Amino acid sequence: MSNAHEVVEKNVGLMIVLTLIAVSFGGLAEIVPLFWQKATTEPLETLEPYSALEMEGRDIYIREGCHVCHTQMVRPLRAETERFGPYSVAGEDVWEHPFLWGSKRTGPDLAHVGIRPITEQWHREHLRDPRQVVPESNMPAYPWLETTPVDWSHTERKLRLFKNTFGVPYTDEGIAEQVERFTNGEWSEATEEDALVAYLLSLGRERKEVTQ
Amino acid sequence: MSDFWSWFIIVIVVINLLGCAGLLLWNNSISAEEAAKETTGHSFDGIVERNSPLPRWWLGLFIGTLVFACVYLVLYPGLGKFDGVLGWTSSGQYDSEVALVERQTGPLFEQYAQVPIEELIRYPEALAVGGRLFANNCAICHGSDARGAKGYPNLTDDAWLYGGSPEQIVTSITAGRQGAMPPMAAAIGNTDEAVRDMAIYVQSLSRPDVANKGDNAAAIERAKPRFMMCAACHGPDGSGNQMLGAPNLTDNSWLYGPRLEDIEYGIKHGRSGHMPAHESLLSKERIHVIAAYVYNLSHRADADNTTTP
Repeated sequence: MSNAHEVVEKNVGLMIVLTLIAVSFGGLAEIVPLFWQKATTEPLETLEPYSALEMEGRDIYIREGCHVCHTQMVRPLRAETERFGPYSVAGEDVWEHPFLWGSKRTGPDLAHVGIRPITEQWHREHLRDPRQVVPESNMPAYPWLETTPVDWSHTERKLRLFKNTFGVPYTDEGIAEQVERFTNGEWSEATEEDALVAYLLSLGRERKEVTQ
Repeated sequence: MSDFWSWFIIVIVVINLLGCAGLLLWNNSISAEEAAKETTGHSFDGIVERNSPLPRWWLGLFIGTLVFACVYLVLYPGLGKFDGVLGWTSSGQYDSEVALVERQTGPLFEQYAQVPIEELIRYPEALAVGGRLFANNCAICHGSDARGAKGYPNLTDDAWLYGGSPEQIVTSITAGRQGAMPPMAAAIGNTDEAVRDMAIYVQSLSRPDVANKGDNAAAIERAKPRFMMCAACHGPDGSGNQMLGAPNLTDNSWLYGPRLEDIEYGIKHGRSGHMPAHESLLSKERIHVIAAYVYNLSHRADADNTTTP
């Protein structure tokens, strides 16, 4: 018995299996139960699905790598809630695919930037030339967004994907109405800047009541 | 959390702790006979491997972590639904952190709230607090030096869109402001020339020498009667109206820039500056202190002339 560890040491396959079992305990106890917890699987009652414009804005946010420098996760610390608004809760992100929590804060957290006292005009000027409004800023400028029209060719598919695969409560009529708005309606000539600003202003609207 | 998942977690955690403890005991139970064999028989390049138990100090650390884990699981949440005897939660810790700071700073803000803003600018500590609050809430638009930017008012000068009295500043911060200059080109002649004439006239209101350049004098004569349309908000003499937030056009202070292009753009497209309301974001007492900081920016001389209490 006393030299039984020799069996593991001399059988790499067995060692791999035992290692995987040992490592899986952490995930089994800490991650697996989360898939069945209401706090992480039920959206906040105030949560609204993204509009087509906001959905495209979100994809521009991802394309331009905003999440590399901006987190979307306000931690429950006073120093953060003073700056970024109420702390994040899991129910805000149930419809986020993929989530954009990020892990590196070069710029400020944006989880609730839409309910901060910042105007739409400020966002536009700031995206075109951040130093125009914040001289100390080291954020790159994104002037082309102002002149680039939104590419709507995949938008309807995206909305359907979120409805059918991720269970986001879009309806067929609702999607048809969104499609109408960007094919013939007010978004038909929207620029990428319009989309990104609409997305930024939507961030945190589900937590607006917390600040009041 | 349902009972099933609670027990699921408890069972895994307990099996882990017992498993680790068992592994330790087992490792430590190598018989005297085995240990006395000196080597496991492995030999590589003359280096032999012994089958000894873990060193004592290492074993001690290992046992220490197991004890720590047990103490932790009693004190803090970790075993399924069990909340831990301390009842700790991250939101509870946040709430107590906020309450602590509220207790510490509440009386101070209370004290400042009793002091009129004209007085408060002589309290360096209050201004320091106000400066921090300004940096956190206002600097994003008005700049960290409060000198503003194009479209965002400079708060350090004497030009005020909505008035610079303490009450007016408090109102601006609390309820916000919405500037609304409509596009005026149609009302003043609807030609590029009419717009250019008006821009020259507006520029000349604060820069008399503009009239002496080129044909400007003629342009000003053409625009003057049409300024009637602008006078409803900016006043017949262009000195503005703080009730409406209509800027004074005679003070050579330019929210959107002094160039003819800037002025023409404003006439053609209108302007709509927006200052968001802060009443849901900042307490009355904090707004009072921020207002004192802002008031101080254009009244530094007043504050310096008196001794600090």
